[in-house]
Amino acid sequence: MDLIKVEKVCADAEGRSILSDLNISVSRGEKVLIKGRSGIGKTTIFRLLLGFKTPSFGTIYFEGRPMDPRLAWDIRKKVAHISQDSDIGEGTVKEMLDGIFSYAANKGMLIQEELKLLLSEFSMRADVLYKKFENLSGGEKQRIAIIISLLTKKDIFFLDEITSDLDAKLKRKIVDMFVGNPSWTVLAISHDAEWEREGVRVIDLEKLQENSNVCN
Amino acid sequence: MSATDITPAGMAFCFLLLLIPVLISYHLNLKLINSTIESAFRMTVQLALAGFFLTFVFELNNSLLNLAWVLTMVIVASYAVLKNAQLKYGSFIVPLTLSFALANVGVLLYFNSLVIGLNDLFEARYFIPIAGMVIGNSLRANIVGINDFCDQIQRNENRYLSSLSLGAEKYEALKPYLRKSLRNSIRPTLANMATVGIVFLPGMMTGQIIGGSSPLTAIEYQIAIMIAIYVSTVMNVMFGVIILMHRGFDEYGMFRKDMLKGA
Repeated sequence: MDLIKVEKVCADAEGRSILSDLNISVSRGEKVLIKGRSGIGKTTIFRLLLGFKTPSFGTIYFEGRPMDPRLAWDIRKKVAHISQDSDIGEGTVKEMLDGIFSYAANKGMLIQEELKLLLSEFSMRADVLYKKFENLSGGEKQRIAIIISLLTKKDIFFLDEITSDLDAKLKRKIVDMFVGNPSWTVLAISHDAEWEREGVRVIDLEKLQENSNVCN
Repeated sequence: MSATDITPAGMAFCFLLLLIPVLISYHLNLKLINSTIESAFRMTVQLALAGFFLTFVFELNNSLLNLAWVLTMVIVASYAVLKNAQLKYGSFIVPLTLSFALANVGVLLYFNSLVIGLNDLFEARYFIPIAGMVIGNSLRANIVGINDFCDQIQRNENRYLSSLSLGAEKYEALKPYLRKSLRNSIRPTLANMATVGIVFLPGMMTGQIIGGSSPLTAIEYQIAIMIAIYVSTVMNVMFGVIILMHRGFDEYGMFRKDMLKGA
């Protein structure tokens, strides 16, 4: 059974069609790269999968269930999503972490030893915790977001441009980590060539949408 | 001892004072002459009507009528909140009126029974003017609270969505915004409470002193009323924003932009 199935989905925003007749299936453990030029609707796919947006046509299935509000709330708890938008919190990094790990779904998952380990793994100093999140650099924000997603112990990842502001070494390290874990299902949106490697299925959204039927 | 009636001549002298703003407006071309006259006229008519009406209500002093009058105030206040908020009336007016009634009448009854110790809890002389002060003050805070929450949720949409995708329930994700809106809307009332007596003498206290009460009685009432206003404001704003949290989002937890005016 497919973990995720997007069936004949159309989506629009402000009267403009963004996706038309989109079909995508992802099975458990698969690593998928979604690429294509900006504005073609890559991020919209994640928004549809998380129930942040409703398709104008077609159905989305997750673990075989068709999308409805209850499923959307379940998906948000099962998936680690890293948004391309870095505006994900305010205050110090520590305050942000405390907030996120106070949610019922994440209670008790913030283990300080693990956090320290991950910080050094991604070449960050421990005092970053006491800096304001909004003052961090793009690359630091991306790494903090990745660390948060790892701490929540999910095995399905929706990653939206998470390596764009990182240096080559870190890019490789992070892609290695996400691609290397056989039990993880990973959907990544990226312009980085680093993601195009063996074991990663590439979905070229431009090509996929070229010959799609028009929605009505 | 009771306040001296203002004679018709005295009233005329009072209106004569309005010549000053009228002349200033004329010379500086403020274009406020018509507004000044219209506002003064409206105020006079409205207050005259209120004076006659309240005389009637006070003489009758019927509990049911008093309660009905206060509930009318509550309904008008709820409409005023929505009129000044960014929200359409549709799904908000009923719950907002109910929560307003609950919070304000609740505080009023507590106040009249335990603080003032009235035998007749609905006695017009206390129930109606105090209701006016409590409702009028919490109304302003409610407008601030609801608008602030709407603004925040639109401005921080990404942050809100990222909380949801990090596993937050709707309530958990909205809590920071609830917190901020409550703080922003309550702060003016707190500042008011902290400066009263030094920076300004509140209208009610002034009224009581002119009416012949000793300043000490007047401050007793003022202290009690400030606390009643603060408590009802906090309750009203909290209820208002909680109603918005329930009705303003769809089942997926998305903010319903169609509830905003102009949508």
